[in-house]
Amino acid sequence: MTRLPWPALAATALIAVLAILAPWLGLPNPVTMDVPHRLAGPSAAHWLGQDEFGRDVLTRLIWGARVSLSVAVSAAALACLIGTALGITGGYLRGIAEILTLRSIDVLLCFPPLLLALLVVTLLGPGATTLIPVLALVYLPGFTRVAYAGVLTARSQDYVEAMRVLGAGSGRIMLRTILPNIGGPVLVQFSLAMAAAVVLESGLSFLGLGVVPPAPSWGLMIGAARATMAQAPLLLLWPCLALTLTVLVMNALCDGLRDAVDPHPTYRPAARRLLDAIAPGLLPTPKAVLDLAHLTVEIDTPAGPIHPVRDVSLQVFPGETLAIVGESGSGKSVTSLAITGLLPGAAHVTEGAAFLDGTDLLRLPEESLRKLRGDKIAMVFQDPGSSLNPVHRIGAQIAEAIRAHRPLSDKAARAEAIALLRRVGLPDPDSRARAYPHELSGGQRQRVMIAIAIANHPSLLIADEPTTALDVTIQAQILELLSDLKRERGLALLFITHALPVVAEIADRVAVMYAGEIVETGPTAEVFLAPHHPYTAALLRSAPDEEGPPPVGIPGIVPPPTALPPGCTFAPRCPRAIPECTAAPPALRSAGAGRLTRCIRWNA
Amino acid sequence: MITTEHLGKSFPIGGLFNRHALHAVRDVSITVGRGETLGLVGESGSGKSTVGRLMLGLLPATTGRVLFEGQDLAAARPAQMRTLRRRLQLVFQDPYASLDPRRTIGAQIADALVIHKLVSPSFRPARVAALLDQVGLAPDHAARYPHQFSGGQRQRIGIARALASGPDFLVADEPVSALDVSVQAQVLALLAGLRAELGLAMLFISHDLPVVRHLADRVAVMYLGRIMEEGPVKAVFATPRHPYTQALLSAAPSLHPERRRARTLLQGDPPSPANPPSGCVFRTRCPIAAPACASTIPALAGLTHRVACIRV
Repeated sequence: MTRLPWPALAATALIAVLAILAPWLGLPNPVTMDVPHRLAGPSAAHWLGQDEFGRDVLTRLIWGARVSLSVAVSAAALACLIGTALGITGGYLRGIAEILTLRSIDVLLCFPPLLLALLVVTLLGPGATTLIPVLALVYLPGFTRVAYAGVLTARSQDYVEAMRVLGAGSGRIMLRTILPNIGGPVLVQFSLAMAAAVVLESGLSFLGLGVVPPAPSWGLMIGAARATMAQAPLLLLWPCLALTLTVLVMNALCDGLRDAVDPHPTYRPAARRLLDAIAPGLLPTPKAVLDLAHLTVEIDTPAGPIHPVRDVSLQVFPGETLAIVGESGSGKSVTSLAITGLLPGAAHVTEGAAFLDGTDLLRLPEESLRKLRGDKIAMVFQDPGSSLNPVHRIGAQIAEAIRAHRPLSDKAARAEAIALLRRVGLPDPDSRARAYPHELSGGQRQRVMIAIAIANHPSLLIADEPTTALDVTIQAQILELLSDLKRERGLALLFITHALPVVAEIADRVAVMYAGEIVETGPTAEVFLAPHHPYTAALLRSAPDEEGPPPVGIPGIVPPPTALPPGCTFAPRCPRAIPECTAAPPALRSAGAGRLTRCIRWNA
Repeated sequence: MITTEHLGKSFPIGGLFNRHALHAVRDVSITVGRGETLGLVGESGSGKSTVGRLMLGLLPATTGRVLFEGQDLAAARPAQMRTLRRRLQLVFQDPYASLDPRRTIGAQIADALVIHKLVSPSFRPARVAALLDQVGLAPDHAARYPHQFSGGQRQRIGIARALASGPDFLVADEPVSALDVSVQAQVLALLAGLRAELGLAMLFISHDLPVVRHLADRVAVMYLGRIMEEGPVKAVFATPRHPYTQALLSAAPSLHPERRRARTLLQGDPPSPANPPSGCVFRTRCPIAAPACASTIPALAGLTHRVACIRV
């Protein structure tokens, strides 16, 4: 609420003040003629020159603003008020109210707006007072439709239902809950309508159907200047310039207001910087499919750079599943995006290397990386619904994925697609290959995504929360399928999840992440049986298990990357913290065979 | 306290010419007593959320009825319904969608006080502060907007809003499934504490069996709109009798895979609720289905531990 658009506000105020104060500015009378000096150029007495009757152009411009703007603003405001009210009642109450409001507005929309305006003006006669209702009528449908569309989205939101649960009446919900939430689009529509109304008013006046001469208006001025364009081209420039500037200022104002009434902060993403040319300094471990070393990711924010992933090193070996487990904000997904080169624009890798079979992915040009994705590295995401193209048959989508990386004939690719669908356990693959994504259930769509992922025999499969959106009986099927594929094809599987029981089921090794760092790694069974880091222990205690004691939460919240505590990031929530913990950030230290922990007290 | 009798809900689907009914909920008879928590578990499309909405009177029942302290919700007059609204509340699943992004959380918590004229305007800030304190938030948070809070904190705000009107019956619709596991446990502990403190009756809707195991007194298992098994939590989890409950329990991943019971992996997907199988709705995926299952709709039979299966 604090970031008001001051420049636009000031410009609007200046225009408004000029228009309102026109009679008291000591300007010459806008209708006083001075025929001998007609079409005179700019001079000290007449800054912008004189028009075809010798009248002062600056005066007429300012007096014209009075007429043009008052007509446009009142018309847009009237249309906004009535249109939004109609749209909200129609959209919220539905039924008969919807027919009365929306359908009658639809009828109005059938008329071309200019024709409608011309018709009414012809019937009622020209003049500023007729123009206001005419223009309001023209812009009414726009407001109604925008408000209606907004309400249809807002009314199904939980917070609207929450008001109904509380017993709030319809009027209260429409005014207090829905109106503020559709305010943004309505404001944008207001700026468009106001700008368009200035133009249309000018147009109608130009046609002789708006403001009646000799009263000044921008439209009339443009019309008159057109006649003398050859002798005095500047006369055409001034009203057009005034019109354009006013419209721009109004658009800027409404955009600014829309942002100002939105309580969410807006972030501007910084331009992507080139990867820092730091020498990797490390040789890849020969055996690992993926060897990620000292990965650090930086995101530029208005408050300065933050590091959602710091110094993350891990290896995945063939035929092995490594699970990265962590809560939201732990950096587990950012890690996988960095490996695949899919980080959003504001984020970039500042340090580290990611060797895939000896190639450093982080220093690969985008083009080569693109060729690797879907080929040697494959990905499966959480939401199978949005990862598939809704307008193509699934068989064709798999065939396309194959042909993008291998020179196969269309027929061979399709045959392979069907074989893949059979492998991932889709029932009746020959006919299901012709199905569209919406004809499949969530579990079946995830099977299709897995088929696409394994289509080109990847060496690394990254699965980011692949079963989170699925039901528990379907999740069991998908986990079974993934571990079968891993065994059968010697895949290296990097499995990212927040669910500890899923880790226990599928992962050979686990890396626990907290606030952007790995705090513990090791073989899953050993880590879960005897965790060496207090965070792992606390996380295990908080996971509800069927047997065993009721879950115990971890007090406090994960520190945001903007405000990391000094020393160990878990110390403020740690039951075992001692003063030394906050002195310096602890390093990952070896804690038995194949195990690492980032805790100075692990064996204390 | 709140009882449903043969509750059913169907939604019309299809176009002008092939209009038919989707039976989201069929023949659901359950009871939640004062201070008691009934866990309602099932997979997506099982109709568990619809049961919650029906029990709050947010949706009208197609068949059967909901009795709150003996009063039929469908027969309540608007004035009576307003009073009932105050006593029946809902905690939503999505802590992001359920709060109005444009208003401060204090104003949203105070809505119930304003609508039902519960406290005079001058005492409202104090009441809001007390509610925030009750759910473990600081009173000065009232002036902030929802986006300034984490998911767990938002869910606490949602709970404070539901408690503001002083309800007797609370429907919690997957209240922790959108939260991180360490935060989940905090919110579950909060719900359990409030239930004990306020004597709330609660319908706890969840797909997460271990969570229900720790919070609920009794549990009802739904599949395709029908209750398959219902009984005390301990009995249902220790000795599940319905083949669907058995499969559901064995499918849930466990922290101790080596100790888990033998897995009965269900084949295929649940059928569409628009076109459910005849007889027992589970028979198409059931490992012990017999021909008779296609012709008989099994009734929920038993005293405290009820099962709807002709094969047990």
